[in-house]
Amino acid sequence: MLAAGVFLAPALAMIAMFTVVPFVQGILLSFQSWDGVSPDAPYVGLANYRFVLHDTEFLGSMKNAVVFGVVGLVVANAVSLVMALAVHRARRGAAFFRTVYYLPGVFSTVVVGVMFAWFLDPKIGVVNQTLKAVGLDGLQHNWLGDPKTVLIAVAVVFVWYHWGFGFILFLAGRQDVPQELYEAASLDGARGWAQFRYVTWPSMSHVTGIVSVLTLLSGLQIFGTVQVLTNGGPAGHTEVPTLDIYQQAFQFSEYGRAAAMSVIFGVCLIVLACVQLWVSRRLGGSTGSRAEKGS
Amino acid sequence: MALYALLIAGALEALVPVLWILSGSLQSAEQLYKGTDPIPHPFEWGNFATAWNEGGFSQYLPNSLLYTTASVVGILVIASMAGYALARIEFPGRGVVVGAILVIMIIPLPASFIAQYKLLITLGLANTRIGYILVLIAGGLPISILIMRGFFAGQPKELEEAAAIDGASLLGTFWRIILPLARPGLVAVAVIQAMGVWNEYLMGLVLFNDSSLMPVQRGLTNFVSAESPQQQILLAASLIAVLPIVVFYAVAQRHIISGLSAGALK
Repeated sequence: MLAAGVFLAPALAMIAMFTVVPFVQGILLSFQSWDGVSPDAPYVGLANYRFVLHDTEFLGSMKNAVVFGVVGLVVANAVSLVMALAVHRARRGAAFFRTVYYLPGVFSTVVVGVMFAWFLDPKIGVVNQTLKAVGLDGLQHNWLGDPKTVLIAVAVVFVWYHWGFGFILFLAGRQDVPQELYEAASLDGARGWAQFRYVTWPSMSHVTGIVSVLTLLSGLQIFGTVQVLTNGGPAGHTEVPTLDIYQQAFQFSEYGRAAAMSVIFGVCLIVLACVQLWVSRRLGGSTGSRAEKGS
Repeated sequence: MALYALLIAGALEALVPVLWILSGSLQSAEQLYKGTDPIPHPFEWGNFATAWNEGGFSQYLPNSLLYTTASVVGILVIASMAGYALARIEFPGRGVVVGAILVIMIIPLPASFIAQYKLLITLGLANTRIGYILVLIAGGLPISILIMRGFFAGQPKELEEAAAIDGASLLGTFWRIILPLARPGLVAVAVIQAMGVWNEYLMGLVLFNDSSLMPVQRGLTNFVSAESPQQQILLAASLIAVLPIVVFYAVAQRHIISGLSAGALK
Protein backbone atom coordinates (compact mmCIF):
# COMPACT_ATOMS: atom_id res chain seq x y z
CA MET A 1 0.00 0.00 0.00
CA LEU A 2 2.71 2.43 1.05
CA ALA A 3 4.88 1.21 -1.79
CA ALA A 4 2.09 1.77 -4.29
CA GLY A 5 1.72 5.29 -2.96
CA VAL A 6 5.43 6.04 -3.40
CA PHE A 7 5.44 4.67 -6.95
CA LEU A 8 2.26 6.42 -8.00
CA ALA A 9 2.66 9.76 -6.24
CA PRO A 10 4.77 11.59 -8.85
CA ALA A 11 2.48 10.56 -11.71
CA LEU A 12 -0.73 11.39 -9.88
CA ALA A 13 0.66 14.72 -8.68
CA MET A 14 1.72 15.75 -12.18
CA ILE A 15 -1.54 14.69 -13.81
CA ALA A 16 -3.64 16.32 -11.09
CA MET A 17 -1.68 19.57 -11.18
CA PHE A 18 -1.29 20.10 -14.92
CA THR A 19 -4.26 18.25 -16.42
CA VAL A 20 -7.11 17.86 -13.95
CA VAL A 21 -6.79 21.25 -12.22
CA PRO A 22 -6.65 23.19 -15.52
CA PHE A 23 -9.59 21.20 -16.85
CA VAL A 24 -11.71 22.19 -13.84
CA GLN A 25 -10.35 25.75 -13.90
CA GLY A 26 -11.26 25.93 -17.56
CA ILE A 27 -14.87 25.14 -16.71
CA LEU A 28 -14.85 27.88 -14.05
CA LEU A 29 -13.17 30.31 -16.45
CA SER A 30 -15.96 29.75 -18.97
CA PHE A 31 -18.29 31.54 -16.51
CA GLN A 32 -15.85 34.40 -15.98
CA SER A 33 -14.60 37.36 -17.94
CA TRP A 34 -10.81 37.61 -18.14
CA ASP A 35 -8.58 39.68 -20.41
CA GLY A 36 -5.42 37.68 -19.81
CA VAL A 37 -3.68 40.37 -17.78
CA SER A 38 -5.77 41.76 -14.93
CA PRO A 39 -5.64 39.99 -11.58
CA ASP A 40 -9.41 39.66 -11.21
CA ALA A 41 -11.82 37.80 -13.42
CA PRO A 42 -15.45 38.59 -12.50
CA TYR A 43 -18.15 35.97 -12.86
CA VAL A 44 -20.54 36.73 -15.71
CA GLY A 45 -22.92 33.80 -15.51
CA LEU A 46 -23.84 32.33 -18.87
CA ALA A 47 -22.84 35.38 -20.90
CA ASN A 48 -19.88 33.64 -22.54
CA TYR A 49 -22.00 30.69 -23.57
CA ARG A 50 -24.73 32.98 -24.91
CA PHE A 51 -22.12 34.75 -27.02
CA VAL A 52 -20.41 31.62 -28.25
CA LEU A 53 -23.61 29.80 -29.19
CA HIS A 54 -24.64 32.76 -31.35
CA ASP A 55 -21.17 33.22 -32.83
CA THR A 56 -21.45 32.18 -36.48
CA GLU A 57 -17.66 31.95 -36.78
CA PHE A 58 -17.47 29.39 -33.98
CA LEU A 59 -20.43 27.40 -35.26
CA GLY A 60 -18.90 27.46 -38.74
CA SER A 61 -15.59 26.26 -37.28
CA MET A 62 -17.36 23.29 -35.70
CA LYS A 63 -18.83 22.45 -39.11
CA ASN A 64 -15.40 22.64 -40.75
CA ALA A 65 -13.96 20.40 -38.04
CA VAL A 66 -16.63 17.85 -38.88
CA VAL A 67 -15.55 18.02 -42.54
CA PHE A 68 -11.93 17.31 -41.62
CA GLY A 69 -12.97 14.58 -39.22
CA VAL A 70 -15.20 12.85 -41.76
CA VAL A 71 -12.70 13.18 -44.61
CA GLY A 72 -10.06 11.69 -42.33
CA LEU A 73 -12.39 8.95 -41.20
CA VAL A 74 -13.50 7.94 -44.70
CA VAL A 75 -10.74 8.89 -47.14
CA ALA A 76 -7.59 8.68 -45.01
CA ASN A 77 -8.72 5.46 -43.35
CA ALA A 78 -9.66 3.84 -46.65
CA VAL A 79 -6.22 4.70 -48.08
CA SER A 80 -4.55 3.46 -44.87
CA LEU A 81 -6.39 0.15 -44.93
CA VAL A 82 -5.85 -0.56 -48.64
CA MET A 83 -2.14 0.27 -48.42
CA ALA A 84 -1.71 -1.81 -45.26
CA LEU A 85 -3.27 -4.85 -46.94
CA ALA A 86 -1.11 -4.23 -50.02
CA VAL A 87 2.13 -3.98 -48.01
CA HIS A 88 1.17 -7.10 -46.09
CA ARG A 89 0.92 -9.01 -49.37
CA ALA A 90 4.14 -7.64 -50.82
CA ARG A 91 6.90 -10.23 -50.93
CA ARG A 92 9.66 -7.72 -51.55
CA GLY A 93 10.23 -4.18 -50.41
CA ALA A 94 7.67 -4.25 -47.59
CA ALA A 95 10.11 -2.57 -45.19
CA PHE A 96 10.86 0.16 -47.73
CA PHE A 97 7.21 0.95 -48.40
CA ARG A 98 6.39 0.91 -44.69
CA THR A 99 9.17 3.40 -43.97
CA VAL A 100 8.20 5.72 -46.81
CA TYR A 101 4.48 5.71 -46.05
CA TYR A 102 4.98 6.89 -42.51
CA LEU A 103 7.58 9.53 -43.48
CA PRO A 104 5.05 12.41 -43.82
CA GLY A 105 3.82 11.52 -40.32
CA VAL A 106 7.13 12.49 -38.72
CA PHE A 107 6.85 16.04 -40.08
CA SER A 108 5.43 18.71 -37.82
CA THR A 109 2.08 20.36 -38.58
CA VAL A 110 3.91 23.66 -39.09
CA VAL A 111 6.29 22.25 -41.67
CA VAL A 112 3.45 20.53 -43.52
CA GLY A 113 1.71 23.89 -43.61
CA VAL A 114 4.78 25.64 -45.02
CA MET A 115 5.25 22.93 -47.66
CA PHE A 116 1.72 22.97 -48.99
CA ALA A 117 1.37 26.73 -48.79
CA TRP A 118 4.14 26.78 -51.39
CA PHE A 119 2.71 23.95 -53.54
CA LEU A 120 -0.70 25.62 -53.65
CA ASP A 121 0.48 29.21 -54.09
CA PRO A 122 -1.42 30.77 -57.02
CA LYS A 123 1.69 32.20 -58.75
CA ILE A 124 4.82 30.33 -57.74
CA GLY A 125 3.13 27.13 -56.54
CA VAL A 126 4.17 23.83 -58.04
CA VAL A 127 0.57 22.78 -58.69
CA ASN A 128 -0.29 25.77 -60.86
CA GLN A 129 3.14 25.85 -62.50
CA THR A 130 2.77 22.22 -63.49
CA LEU A 131 -0.71 22.78 -64.89
CA LYS A 132 0.71 25.61 -66.97
CA ALA A 133 3.68 23.57 -68.15
CA VAL A 134 1.44 20.79 -69.47
CA GLY A 135 -0.89 23.25 -71.19
CA LEU A 136 -3.78 23.06 -68.74
CA ASP A 137 -3.70 26.77 -67.89
CA GLY A 138 -7.47 26.73 -67.62
CA LEU A 139 -7.30 24.54 -64.52
CA GLN A 140 -4.99 26.93 -62.66
CA HIS A 141 -6.62 28.13 -59.53
CA ASN A 142 -6.08 30.13 -56.39
CA TRP A 143 -6.60 26.97 -54.34
CA LEU A 144 -6.24 28.54 -50.90
CA GLY A 145 -7.80 31.88 -51.80
CA ASP A 146 -11.10 30.67 -53.23
CA PRO A 147 -13.79 29.78 -50.67
CA LYS A 148 -15.00 27.02 -53.02
CA THR A 149 -11.73 25.08 -53.08
CA VAL A 150 -9.95 26.00 -49.88
CA LEU A 151 -11.63 23.50 -47.57
CA ILE A 152 -11.02 20.62 -49.99
CA ALA A 153 -7.41 21.71 -50.49
CA VAL A 154 -6.74 21.72 -46.74
CA ALA A 155 -8.52 18.37 -46.37
CA VAL A 156 -6.27 16.86 -49.05
CA VAL A 157 -3.23 18.12 -47.14
CA PHE A 158 -4.62 16.55 -43.96
CA VAL A 159 -5.06 13.19 -45.71
CA TRP A 160 -1.52 13.34 -47.14
CA TYR A 161 -0.14 14.06 -43.68
CA HIS A 162 -2.21 11.61 -41.73
CA TRP A 163 -2.83 8.37 -43.61
CA GLY A 164 0.57 6.87 -42.73
CA PHE A 165 -0.43 6.69 -39.08
CA GLY A 166 -3.55 4.62 -39.71
CA PHE A 167 -1.52 2.54 -42.15
CA ILE A 168 0.96 1.54 -39.42
CA LEU A 169 -1.84 0.46 -37.10
CA PHE A 170 -3.76 -1.43 -39.79
CA LEU A 171 -0.57 -3.20 -40.82
CA ALA A 172 0.10 -4.27 -37.21
CA GLY A 173 -3.52 -5.41 -36.94
CA ARG A 174 -3.34 -7.39 -40.19
CA GLN A 175 -0.19 -9.15 -39.04
CA ASP A 176 -2.03 -10.31 -35.91
CA VAL A 177 -4.79 -12.09 -37.85
CA PRO A 178 -4.01 -15.81 -37.56
CA GLN A 179 -3.11 -17.48 -40.85
CA GLU A 180 -5.31 -20.50 -40.01
CA LEU A 181 -8.42 -18.36 -40.50
CA TYR A 182 -7.44 -17.82 -44.14
CA GLU A 183 -6.63 -21.49 -44.63
CA ALA A 184 -10.02 -22.47 -43.23
CA ALA A 185 -11.75 -19.84 -45.37
CA SER A 186 -10.07 -20.99 -48.57
CA LEU A 187 -11.09 -24.59 -47.79
CA ASP A 188 -14.63 -23.23 -47.73
CA GLY A 189 -14.01 -21.72 -51.15
CA ALA A 190 -13.65 -18.09 -50.02
CA ARG A 191 -11.42 -16.01 -52.30
CA GLY A 192 -10.51 -12.36 -52.72
CA TRP A 193 -13.41 -10.20 -51.65
CA ALA A 194 -15.09 -12.97 -49.63
CA GLN A 195 -11.89 -13.51 -47.64
CA PHE A 196 -11.69 -9.81 -46.94
CA ARG A 197 -15.39 -9.58 -46.04
CA TYR A 198 -15.57 -12.65 -43.79
CA VAL A 199 -12.04 -12.97 -42.39
CA THR A 200 -9.94 -9.80 -42.63
CA TRP A 201 -12.61 -7.19 -41.89
CA PRO A 202 -14.18 -8.87 -38.82
CA SER A 203 -10.79 -9.91 -37.43
CA MET A 204 -9.53 -6.35 -37.65
CA SER A 205 -12.61 -4.62 -36.25
CA HIS A 206 -10.81 -3.82 -32.99
CA VAL A 207 -8.02 -2.03 -34.87
CA THR A 208 -10.49 -0.34 -37.20
CA GLY A 209 -12.37 1.03 -34.19
CA ILE A 210 -9.23 2.49 -32.64
CA VAL A 211 -7.90 3.93 -35.88
CA SER A 212 -11.30 5.49 -36.57
CA VAL A 213 -11.43 7.20 -33.18
CA LEU A 214 -7.87 8.50 -33.46
CA THR A 215 -8.27 9.77 -37.03
CA LEU A 216 -11.62 11.38 -36.32
CA LEU A 217 -10.27 13.10 -33.21
CA SER A 218 -7.16 14.39 -34.93
CA GLY A 219 -9.23 15.69 -37.85
CA LEU A 220 -11.52 17.52 -35.48
CA GLN A 221 -8.57 18.99 -33.55
CA ILE A 222 -6.56 20.08 -36.61
CA PHE A 223 -4.68 23.28 -35.80
CA GLY A 224 -1.09 23.94 -36.86
CA THR A 225 -1.54 23.03 -40.52
CA VAL A 226 -4.60 25.24 -40.87
CA GLN A 227 -2.98 28.11 -39.00
CA VAL A 228 0.01 28.13 -41.32
CA LEU A 229 -1.87 27.39 -44.56
CA THR A 230 -4.83 29.76 -44.28
CA ASN A 231 -5.09 31.04 -40.69
CA GLY A 232 -8.78 30.15 -40.97
CA GLY A 233 -9.36 32.20 -44.12
CA PRO A 234 -10.48 33.29 -46.56
CA ALA A 235 -13.23 34.93 -44.50
CA GLY A 236 -13.46 32.08 -42.00
CA HIS A 237 -13.98 29.36 -44.59
CA THR A 238 -11.37 27.12 -42.97
CA GLU A 239 -11.78 28.30 -39.39
CA VAL A 240 -11.51 25.35 -37.01
CA PRO A 241 -12.38 25.26 -33.29
CA THR A 242 -8.87 24.99 -31.86
CA LEU A 243 -7.74 27.96 -33.98
CA ASP A 244 -10.86 29.91 -33.05
CA ILE A 245 -10.25 29.26 -29.35
CA TYR A 246 -6.64 30.38 -29.74
CA GLN A 247 -7.62 33.55 -31.59
CA GLN A 248 -10.42 34.39 -29.16
CA ALA A 249 -7.94 34.23 -26.28
CA PHE A 250 -4.65 35.46 -27.65
CA GLN A 251 -5.80 37.92 -30.30
CA PHE A 252 -9.03 39.28 -28.83
CA SER A 253 -8.11 38.75 -25.14
CA GLU A 254 -11.51 37.16 -24.48
CA TYR A 255 -10.29 34.28 -22.35
CA GLY A 256 -13.70 33.58 -20.83
CA ARG A 257 -15.27 33.14 -24.27
CA ALA A 258 -12.33 31.01 -25.34
CA ALA A 259 -12.86 28.83 -22.27
CA ALA A 260 -16.57 28.48 -23.06
CA MET A 261 -15.65 27.36 -26.59
CA SER A 262 -13.15 24.92 -25.07
CA VAL A 263 -15.82 23.43 -22.83
CA ILE A 264 -18.37 23.05 -25.64
CA PHE A 265 -15.84 21.64 -28.09
CA GLY A 266 -14.19 19.46 -25.44
CA VAL A 267 -17.50 17.93 -24.39
CA CYS A 268 -18.31 17.15 -28.03
CA LEU A 269 -14.95 15.44 -28.49
CA ILE A 270 -15.24 13.40 -25.32
CA VAL A 271 -18.79 12.28 -26.11
CA LEU A 272 -17.77 11.36 -29.66
CA ALA A 273 -14.78 9.35 -28.49
CA CYS A 274 -16.92 7.44 -26.00
CA VAL A 275 -19.70 6.76 -28.52
CA GLN A 276 -17.30 5.58 -31.17
CA LEU A 277 -15.36 3.31 -28.82
CA TRP A 278 -18.63 1.87 -27.58
CA VAL A 279 -19.93 1.27 -31.10
CA SER A 280 -16.74 -0.33 -32.32
CA ARG A 281 -16.66 -2.52 -29.23
CA ARG A 282 -20.21 -3.66 -29.94
CA LEU A 283 -19.38 -4.33 -33.58
CA GLY A 284 -16.11 -5.91 -32.56
CA GLY A 285 -17.93 -8.66 -30.67
CA SER A 286 -15.62 -11.48 -29.64
CA THR A 287 -12.55 -9.87 -31.21
CA GLY A 288 -13.04 -6.74 -29.17
CA SER A 289 -13.40 -8.53 -25.88
CA ARG A 290 -10.41 -10.74 -26.61
CA ALA A 291 -8.25 -7.72 -27.30
CA GLU A 292 -9.52 -6.11 -24.11
CA LYS A 293 -8.48 -9.05 -22.00
CA GLY A 294 -5.10 -9.04 -23.67
CA SER A 295 -4.38 -5.46 -22.74
CA MET B 1 1.92 -6.37 -60.95
CA ALA B 2 -1.15 -4.35 -59.98
CA LEU B 3 -0.03 -4.73 -56.39
CA TYR B 4 3.33 -3.12 -57.08
CA ALA B 5 1.77 -0.40 -59.21
CA LEU B 6 -0.31 0.52 -56.17
CA LEU B 7 2.62 0.31 -53.76
CA ILE B 8 4.81 2.49 -55.97
CA ALA B 9 2.01 5.01 -56.49
CA GLY B 10 1.71 5.26 -52.71
CA ALA B 11 5.45 5.74 -52.33
CA LEU B 12 5.46 8.51 -54.96
CA GLU B 13 2.50 10.20 -53.28
CA ALA B 14 4.41 10.27 -50.00
CA LEU B 15 7.85 11.09 -51.38
CA VAL B 16 7.33 13.54 -54.24
CA PRO B 17 6.22 16.46 -52.04
CA VAL B 18 9.22 15.85 -49.76
CA LEU B 19 11.65 15.73 -52.69
CA TRP B 20 10.07 18.83 -54.15
CA ILE B 21 10.73 20.74 -50.95
CA LEU B 22 14.30 19.54 -50.98
CA SER B 23 14.69 20.72 -54.57
CA GLY B 24 13.05 24.07 -53.85
CA SER B 25 15.25 24.67 -50.84
CA LEU B 26 18.34 24.35 -53.07
CA GLN B 27 17.19 26.66 -55.87
CA SER B 28 18.02 30.27 -56.47
CA ALA B 29 15.23 32.81 -56.04
CA GLU B 30 15.03 33.41 -59.82
CA GLN B 31 14.67 29.73 -60.63
CA LEU B 32 12.12 29.12 -57.90
CA TYR B 33 9.93 32.06 -58.83
CA LYS B 34 10.15 31.32 -62.56
CA GLY B 35 9.46 27.73 -63.33
CA THR B 36 8.93 24.09 -62.64
CA ASP B 37 12.40 22.72 -63.34
CA PRO B 38 12.92 20.36 -60.42
CA ILE B 39 16.72 20.18 -60.74
CA PRO B 40 18.40 23.10 -58.98
CA HIS B 41 20.96 24.87 -61.17
CA PRO B 42 23.17 25.84 -59.61
CA PHE B 43 22.74 24.14 -56.23
CA GLU B 44 22.34 26.98 -53.75
CA TRP B 45 23.70 25.35 -50.61
CA GLY B 46 23.97 28.85 -49.19
CA ASN B 47 20.18 28.86 -48.66
CA PHE B 48 20.68 26.62 -45.65
CA ALA B 49 23.34 28.87 -44.15
CA THR B 50 21.08 31.88 -44.69
CA ALA B 51 18.11 30.08 -43.13
CA TRP B 52 20.23 28.92 -40.21
CA ASN B 53 21.51 32.43 -39.46
CA GLU B 54 18.40 34.49 -40.15
CA GLY B 55 16.05 31.90 -38.68
CA GLY B 56 17.80 31.79 -35.31
CA PHE B 57 18.16 28.02 -35.39
CA SER B 58 21.28 28.12 -33.26
CA GLN B 59 18.84 29.02 -30.46
CA TYR B 60 15.77 27.00 -31.40
CA LEU B 61 17.44 23.65 -32.07
CA PRO B 62 19.25 23.44 -28.70
CA ASN B 63 16.01 24.54 -27.02
CA SER B 64 14.06 21.74 -28.68
CA LEU B 65 16.81 19.28 -27.84
CA LEU B 66 16.60 20.31 -24.19
CA TYR B 67 12.78 20.18 -24.06
CA THR B 68 12.68 16.81 -25.76
CA THR B 69 15.37 15.22 -23.60
CA ALA B 70 14.09 16.62 -20.32
CA SER B 71 10.46 15.74 -20.89
CA VAL B 72 11.18 12.25 -22.25
CA VAL B 73 13.41 11.44 -19.28
CA GLY B 74 10.78 12.78 -16.91
CA ILE B 75 8.03 10.78 -18.59
CA LEU B 76 10.11 7.57 -18.54
CA VAL B 77 10.92 7.80 -14.83
CA ILE B 78 7.46 8.79 -13.65
CA ALA B 79 5.47 6.57 -16.03
CA SER B 80 7.54 3.45 -15.42
CA MET B 81 7.13 3.77 -11.64
CA ALA B 82 3.38 4.32 -11.96
CA GLY B 83 3.01 1.59 -14.57
CA TYR B 84 4.82 -0.84 -12.32
CA ALA B 85 2.62 -0.05 -9.33
CA LEU B 86 -0.51 -0.49 -11.45
CA ALA B 87 0.68 -3.80 -12.90
CA ARG B 88 2.30 -5.42 -9.89
CA ILE B 89 1.38 -3.96 -6.51
CA GLU B 90 -1.97 -5.03 -5.09
CA PHE B 91 -3.78 -2.17 -3.42
CA PRO B 92 -7.41 -1.16 -3.00
CA GLY B 93 -8.62 1.24 -5.67
CA ARG B 94 -6.17 0.09 -8.32
CA GLY B 95 -8.91 -0.35 -10.88
CA VAL B 96 -10.22 3.12 -10.12
CA VAL B 97 -6.81 4.66 -10.78
CA VAL B 98 -6.48 2.85 -14.11
CA GLY B 99 -10.00 3.93 -15.09
CA ALA B 100 -9.26 7.53 -14.10
CA ILE B 101 -6.13 7.57 -16.26
CA LEU B 102 -8.14 6.27 -19.22
CA VAL B 103 -10.71 9.02 -18.71
CA ILE B 104 -8.04 11.73 -18.39
CA MET B 105 -6.44 10.50 -21.58
CA ILE B 106 -9.65 11.39 -23.43
CA ILE B 107 -9.50 15.07 -22.32
CA PRO B 108 -8.41 16.80 -25.52
CA LEU B 109 -5.82 19.57 -25.51
CA PRO B 110 -8.21 22.12 -27.11
CA ALA B 111 -10.39 21.70 -24.03
CA SER B 112 -7.67 22.63 -21.58
CA PHE B 113 -4.87 24.70 -23.13
CA ILE B 114 -6.40 28.08 -22.23
CA ALA B 115 -6.73 27.04 -18.60
CA GLN B 116 -3.25 25.51 -18.61
CA TYR B 117 -1.91 28.85 -19.77
CA LYS B 118 -3.77 30.62 -16.96
CA LEU B 119 -2.49 28.12 -14.40
CA LEU B 120 1.12 28.63 -15.51
CA ILE B 121 0.70 32.39 -15.22
CA THR B 122 -0.59 31.91 -11.67
CA LEU B 123 2.40 29.72 -10.87
CA GLY B 124 4.79 32.20 -12.49
CA LEU B 125 5.79 29.52 -15.00
CA ALA B 126 4.46 31.00 -18.25
CA ASN B 127 7.27 31.86 -20.67
CA THR B 128 9.71 29.62 -18.75
CA ARG B 129 11.53 26.46 -19.77
CA ILE B 130 10.45 24.54 -16.68
CA GLY B 131 6.78 25.42 -17.22
CA TYR B 132 6.83 24.08 -20.75
CA ILE B 133 8.64 20.91 -19.69
CA LEU B 134 6.17 20.24 -16.86
CA VAL B 135 3.22 20.62 -19.23
CA LEU B 136 4.84 18.27 -21.75
CA ILE B 137 5.53 15.65 -19.08
CA ALA B 138 1.98 15.79 -17.75
CA GLY B 139 0.58 15.53 -21.27
CA GLY B 140 2.66 12.47 -22.12
CA LEU B 141 2.09 10.58 -18.88
CA PRO B 142 -1.31 8.86 -19.26
CA ILE B 143 -0.57 6.92 -22.46
CA SER B 144 2.99 6.15 -21.28
CA ILE B 145 1.74 4.80 -17.95
CA LEU B 146 -0.66 2.48 -19.75
CA ILE B 147 2.06 1.23 -22.13
CA MET B 148 4.46 0.56 -19.25
CA ARG B 149 1.74 -1.16 -17.25
CA GLY B 150 1.17 -3.47 -20.20
CA PHE B 151 4.86 -4.36 -20.36
CA PHE B 152 5.24 -5.00 -16.65
CA ALA B 153 2.10 -7.14 -16.61
CA GLY B 154 3.67 -9.36 -19.26
CA GLN B 155 6.89 -9.97 -17.34
CA PRO B 156 7.49 -13.07 -15.20
CA LYS B 157 7.13 -12.51 -11.46
CA GLU B 158 9.89 -14.90 -10.37
CA LEU B 159 12.73 -12.39 -10.55
CA GLU B 160 11.05 -9.97 -8.21
CA GLU B 161 10.22 -12.76 -5.79
CA ALA B 162 13.83 -13.93 -5.81
CA ALA B 163 15.04 -10.40 -5.20
CA ALA B 164 12.53 -9.97 -2.38
CA ILE B 165 13.83 -13.15 -0.71
CA ASP B 166 17.37 -11.75 -0.98
CA GLY B 167 16.12 -8.80 1.06
CA ALA B 168 16.37 -6.13 -1.63
CA SER B 169 14.05 -3.17 -1.11
CA LEU B 170 11.18 -2.71 -3.53
CA LEU B 171 12.67 0.49 -4.94
CA GLY B 172 16.09 -1.13 -5.30
CA THR B 173 14.61 -4.17 -7.04
CA PHE B 174 12.70 -1.89 -9.34
CA TRP B 175 15.71 0.15 -10.43
CA ARG B 176 18.23 -2.67 -10.71
CA ILE B 177 16.17 -5.63 -11.89
CA ILE B 178 12.72 -4.72 -13.16
CA LEU B 179 13.52 -1.61 -15.16
CA PRO B 180 16.42 -3.00 -17.22
CA LEU B 181 14.13 -5.86 -18.29
CA ALA B 182 11.47 -3.42 -19.41
CA ARG B 183 13.75 -1.89 -22.03
CA PRO B 184 11.47 -2.60 -25.01
CA GLY B 185 8.65 -0.77 -23.27
CA LEU B 186 10.89 2.14 -22.31
CA VAL B 187 12.16 2.43 -25.88
CA ALA B 188 8.61 2.40 -27.27
CA VAL B 189 7.55 5.15 -24.88
CA ALA B 190 10.71 7.18 -25.49
CA VAL B 191 10.46 7.20 -29.27
CA ILE B 192 6.79 8.11 -29.56
CA GLN B 193 7.11 10.79 -26.90
CA ALA B 194 10.29 12.19 -28.46
CA MET B 195 8.53 12.60 -31.81
CA GLY B 196 5.48 14.11 -30.16
CA VAL B 197 7.50 16.62 -28.15
CA TRP B 198 9.78 17.62 -31.03
CA ASN B 199 6.74 18.40 -33.18
CA GLU B 200 4.64 19.95 -30.41
CA TYR B 201 3.35 23.32 -31.49
CA LEU B 202 0.27 24.57 -29.64
CA MET B 203 1.68 24.86 -26.10
CA GLY B 204 4.94 26.27 -27.43
CA LEU B 205 2.93 28.89 -29.27
CA VAL B 206 0.85 29.77 -26.23
CA LEU B 207 3.53 29.76 -23.53
CA PHE B 208 6.48 31.60 -25.07
CA ASN B 209 6.87 35.28 -25.92
CA ASP B 210 10.59 35.24 -25.52
CA SER B 211 12.15 33.98 -28.76
CA SER B 212 15.32 32.83 -26.97
CA LEU B 213 13.20 30.17 -25.19
CA MET B 214 11.13 28.95 -28.14
CA PRO B 215 11.26 25.38 -29.44
CA VAL B 216 12.00 24.90 -33.11
CA GLN B 217 8.43 24.58 -34.46
CA ARG B 218 7.43 27.78 -32.71
CA GLY B 219 10.68 29.37 -33.85
CA LEU B 220 9.84 28.53 -37.45
CA THR B 221 6.52 30.39 -37.34
CA ASN B 222 8.24 33.22 -35.51
CA PHE B 223 10.72 33.43 -38.37
CA VAL B 224 7.90 33.52 -40.93
CA SER B 225 5.99 36.32 -39.22
CA ALA B 226 8.97 38.39 -38.11
CA GLU B 227 11.19 38.23 -41.20
CA SER B 228 8.87 37.10 -44.03
CA PRO B 229 11.77 35.24 -45.65
CA GLN B 230 11.99 34.41 -49.34
CA GLN B 231 10.38 31.11 -50.31
CA GLN B 232 13.58 29.12 -50.86
CA ILE B 233 14.97 30.29 -47.50
CA LEU B 234 11.72 29.34 -45.78
CA LEU B 235 11.86 25.87 -47.36
CA ALA B 236 15.45 25.43 -46.19
CA ALA B 237 14.40 26.57 -42.71
CA SER B 238 11.56 24.06 -42.54
CA LEU B 239 13.90 21.29 -43.60
CA ILE B 240 16.29 22.30 -40.82
CA ALA B 241 13.34 22.01 -38.42
CA VAL B 242 12.48 18.46 -39.54
CA LEU B 243 15.95 17.11 -40.26
CA PRO B 244 16.72 15.96 -36.69
CA ILE B 245 13.44 14.06 -36.42
CA VAL B 246 13.82 12.52 -39.89
CA VAL B 247 17.29 11.26 -38.95
CA PHE B 248 15.85 9.96 -35.69
CA TYR B 249 13.09 8.21 -37.66
CA ALA B 250 15.61 6.65 -40.04
CA VAL B 251 17.63 5.28 -37.12
CA ALA B 252 14.79 4.23 -34.83
CA GLN B 253 11.99 3.51 -37.31
CA ARG B 254 11.52 -0.09 -36.22
CA HIS B 255 10.96 1.07 -32.64
CA ILE B 256 8.80 3.99 -33.72
CA ILE B 257 6.50 1.72 -35.66
CA SER B 258 6.21 -0.84 -32.87
CA GLY B 259 5.87 1.97 -30.33
CA LEU B 260 2.99 3.56 -32.23
CA SER B 261 1.20 0.23 -32.45
CA ALA B 262 1.83 -0.50 -28.77
CA GLY B 263 0.61 2.94 -27.77
CA ALA B 264 -2.58 2.84 -29.79
CA LEU B 265 -3.58 -0.80 -29.88
CA LYS B 266 -2.69 -2.15 -26.43
